[in-house]
Amino acid sequence: MISYFIRRFLLIIPTFIGITLITFLILQVVPGGPLEMELMRIKTGGVSGEVNTSVSGRGSVNIPESALKEMKEFYGFDKPIFVRYTDWLGNLVRFNFGKSYSYAEPVWDVISSRFKVSIYFGFISFILTYLICIPLGVMKAVKSGSKFDFLSSFLVFLGYSTPGWAFGAFMLIIFGGGSFLNVFPLGGFRSEDFDSMNFFQQVFDQLHHTILPVIAYVIGNFAMLTILTKNSVIENLSQDYVKTAFAKGLPEKRVIYYHALRNSLIPITTGIGNFLGLILAGSIMIEKVFNIQGMGLLAFNSIINRDYPITMGILVISSVLMLVGNILSDMIYAWADPRIRFK
Amino acid sequence: MAEEKQNRKQISVSLLKKRWRKFKTIKRGYYSFLIIVFLYLISFILPLFIGRSALIVKYNDNYYSPIFTYHAASEFNQNIPGEANYRLLKKQFSEENGNNWVLLPVYSFGPNENLLDETEGNPPHPPSLKHIMGTDSSCRDVFARIAYGFNISISFALSVTLFAFLIGIIIGALQGFFGGVVDIILHRIIEIWATLPFLYVIIIISSLLVPNFFLLCLIMTLFSWIGITYYVRGEFYREKAKDYVSAAVAMGAPTRNLIFKHILPNSLTPIISFAPFAIVGNITALVSLDFLGFGLPPPTPSWGQLIEQGMINIEYWWLVAFPLAIQFLTLIAIVFIGEAVREAFDPKVYARLR
Repeated sequence: MISYFIRRFLLIIPTFIGITLITFLILQVVPGGPLEMELMRIKTGGVSGEVNTSVSGRGSVNIPESALKEMKEFYGFDKPIFVRYTDWLGNLVRFNFGKSYSYAEPVWDVISSRFKVSIYFGFISFILTYLICIPLGVMKAVKSGSKFDFLSSFLVFLGYSTPGWAFGAFMLIIFGGGSFLNVFPLGGFRSEDFDSMNFFQQVFDQLHHTILPVIAYVIGNFAMLTILTKNSVIENLSQDYVKTAFAKGLPEKRVIYYHALRNSLIPITTGIGNFLGLILAGSIMIEKVFNIQGMGLLAFNSIINRDYPITMGILVISSVLMLVGNILSDMIYAWADPRIRFK
Repeated sequence: MAEEKQNRKQISVSLLKKRWRKFKTIKRGYYSFLIIVFLYLISFILPLFIGRSALIVKYNDNYYSPIFTYHAASEFNQNIPGEANYRLLKKQFSEENGNNWVLLPVYSFGPNENLLDETEGNPPHPPSLKHIMGTDSSCRDVFARIAYGFNISISFALSVTLFAFLIGIIIGALQGFFGGVVDIILHRIIEIWATLPFLYVIIIISSLLVPNFFLLCLIMTLFSWIGITYYVRGEFYREKAKDYVSAAVAMGAPTRNLIFKHILPNSLTPIISFAPFAIVGNITALVSLDFLGFGLPPPTPSWGQLIEQGMINIEYWWLVAFPLAIQFLTLIAIVFIGEAVREAFDPKVYARLR
């Protein structure tokens, strides 16, 4: 099995090259890139003060050949596309992500400053999701068909038919101090005067900013995980070994919570590996709704600003996390279920 | 031979019928299905119920039906530029008390109509009796926009699901049927494709090319066929080992028939039960993209675009609450359908001791 996982890790390399190559090509080939945007900005007179060129007619600016060449060089567009890609890849291997166009800082510095925020929300919601969904799923399975099962199904349907960000937007309207209640802040990671608060105020402020986004995150994964748990428990309860356990006279509690539950949790463990990516990468949608300056919003803004080094940097990080997460899931699966043998 | 063929047909029909009957017994799903289908059909003739153009105008003993034809305001002696305003015309005619009359749709505001001249104060306006869901920041009627957005959302999700299933089924079938090298090569490609951060790449593409309906469908399709291949591949691996396939091979059935005529109909169950949830996912994706500003181009009536306006200033709660509520109701109905379809097509009965 070790050789299987070594093979899997080696396969990350071609997959990774495939992913980055596709995105790189899309970014470079399709019109509307940073160079066009910059030219447009100059032509419409955004920064015309510096570029002192002949203004003809109604504000159209002729950019001299030398300046155009310089700009092309700055954005790297003077070389053929595959040379650009291999250059980028070569730098990446030396852990050089390049320099952001819009922040004028190394990409790694920009991204790593956002990590903290995304991990904070991601980790709390990850733990909470599991703490809520697994017991709920087990209860629903054990009391299948009861009033509790029926009523909690409403929550599950709510989760299925509302994306987390939409629920977040709805909560903001109600609690964000617009037309109704003013209970929670409009978003963000902390208040602006966080540093000048005393400890208790800081804790309160942090919690105050945490609750709504975390609910939105939890809603996003709630339904799937609960139902997965429920189905898995139900399936196990109908197995022969459960019948045997009952037949030999074990009390119901022990059969369900000791024998059946252990086996039911196996499929749920496989999801854990993939959460690595979710925790770190943050959700574009939820971070946009709550204006949380994490990885997701950074990714979104980098696309709008055509800040390609950042766009590619985030792609690299999130896809590596995804690929490693997949393998990690399989490892956890093999560890949790000794019957599984990968070859 | 002919008789045998007919027999086989009857058997397969009756299986489908059995499932359909089972589906009908699950009331929640069945009624949701009827409602959604009814509303979707209605949404194709929506201008009859919601819209700016009058159904019939009687003017100076002539009948006009502006819902089908364009009439300039001057034709009705109205003193405004461009197309006639039938709401004002109706008011004018009833004040004149003459023989002229106008038959308006039940809700006489269009989705893309700027109502700045007929409203007081600055847009967006909160809900009122006249505009039951208020107006948006370009002073367009929110209810009309949401109603027209329904058709677009469902049509979009249906087309993406259809095309994604076509691609997914073909590729999954190839993988499962041929196995070996074909499977390995396709699997590598799929792994690359599946690891691409889907929303992220779609945003990148649609920020560079401003997409129209078909282009956006195409982009979404390109990224949503992957999930279906897993199901089809697994089913094909399972089915291909069964005796009826060996029998068909022994009788010399060509590969094409093996795949599409023999194995595929027997592996459709998980695909069909997956479809409603794929539709839910695609509606959500469209709303998300519209919300981010990378969906369908303005002035297409869209739910996500209203939510975007509302999130800019959360005092405009009606711009967020109404589209979200309609989206929620639509999605929950489809989830109910999906639940019932799964129950009917893929029943899992577990015997429990206690």
